[in-house]
Amino acid sequence: MFDQKGQIRIIEAFLAVAVIFSVLLISVTFPSSPNLDNQKSLANMGTQALITLDTNGTLGNLILQENWTDIKTSLDILLPIGVSFNLTIYDDNLRLVSSQAIQNSNLLGHEAVSVQYVCAVQNLNVQFFVLRLQLAWTR
Amino acid sequence: MRGEKVRRNRNNSGQVLLIAAFIMASLLLSAQLYIFEVGKISNETESDSLNDFLLALKLGSRHVVIGSLANISNGGQNSNLVWNLQRWSSLVSRQYQFGKNVLNCTLRETTPYASGIWISWGQNGTGVSSAYASFSYKLSDREVDIDQSYFMNITTVVFIESYYQMVSGDIKQVNVTISILNEENHALAKQITIYYKLLDSWQVPNATNNYTISDCGDGTYQASFVADIPSQDVEISAHVVDQRGIYVHANATSSQI
Repeated sequence: MFDQKGQIRIIEAFLAVAVIFSVLLISVTFPSSPNLDNQKSLANMGTQALITLDTNGTLGNLILQENWTDIKTSLDILLPIGVSFNLTIYDDNLRLVSSQAIQNSNLLGHEAVSVQYVCAVQNLNVQFFVLRLQLAWTR
Repeated sequence: MRGEKVRRNRNNSGQVLLIAAFIMASLLLSAQLYIFEVGKISNETESDSLNDFLLALKLGSRHVVIGSLANISNGGQNSNLVWNLQRWSSLVSRQYQFGKNVLNCTLRETTPYASGIWISWGQNGTGVSSAYASFSYKLSDREVDIDQSYFMNITTVVFIESYYQMVSGDIKQVNVTISILNEENHALAKQITIYYKLLDSWQVPNATNNYTISDCGDGTYQASFVADIPSQDVEISAHVVDQRGIYVHANATSSQI
């Protein structure tokens, strides 16, 4: 009788340990929270790429010419390898300007960061565009 | 009686252990869930780099002033500068979602500027097209409070110097040196047209005048042509459009060497 009680306590202790262990196991298998430092550096890289492209007015002129291919190529060069992007361009009334997707690969399934950039075109009729650049590390 | 109570407590201690384990497990799980949910909120982080934002703001302001000056120097109204800057301020003020941001623009009214514009296409060999605007940017949100001022002075200046040599009769070999400056730095031209005055009308020298123009590569251009000009004084005019599309011209009287 006395021995059986001891066995039940051992089983109960094992059960308690198993419960805590299983919870720890579940918490480890949760998707890790996004690395904010990575997100910030990605956002900074995106903004820097747009600023570089806009420094001498190239970005605005490419938008006016609707040269989406050259914008994509320029971003491909300015952004590091392993960064996927998707650029959408709106006019100052937030109407969509870019008629086709300016992207190097699909961002689905990746943690994306979004950068908003306002571009003024230095031509005779000053025009404004709002650019939304979404970026994600794919490697 | 007392011994029985102690025994019952001992008998229940395994169940208490289990309940405690369950409570600990649920606490651990809820804490983990909370951390995960908090992390998910910042999945789509807006660019919070204010330095980049300010840099982009100044760059945009510069483009607006350049575009407006290009428009005005090519025949547009002076009011285009204030109109474009108002549109720019309005657009910028709508962009920052995490606080209040206001961009104010003031046009320079100090002589020689009027409504932020100074156009001087004089007879003394110097031509100036310039725009000057001051900006005041205020941003306040939960974390930062920024009050920054900056100005944009966009100036295109052209200098011309000219001299001529007599070839025969009234035929003269005219040489013109044109220098272009953008904000006091040498700059290249997109287009240069030289004129000379013949009997109260301006003529453009062409191939029949042996017209040549060479680019020295440092913002200086050398033009020369041969023309039959009866008058002693040869009036020259250089019309220049710089790489930014800003137009400026200058007139000068060519002197004989």
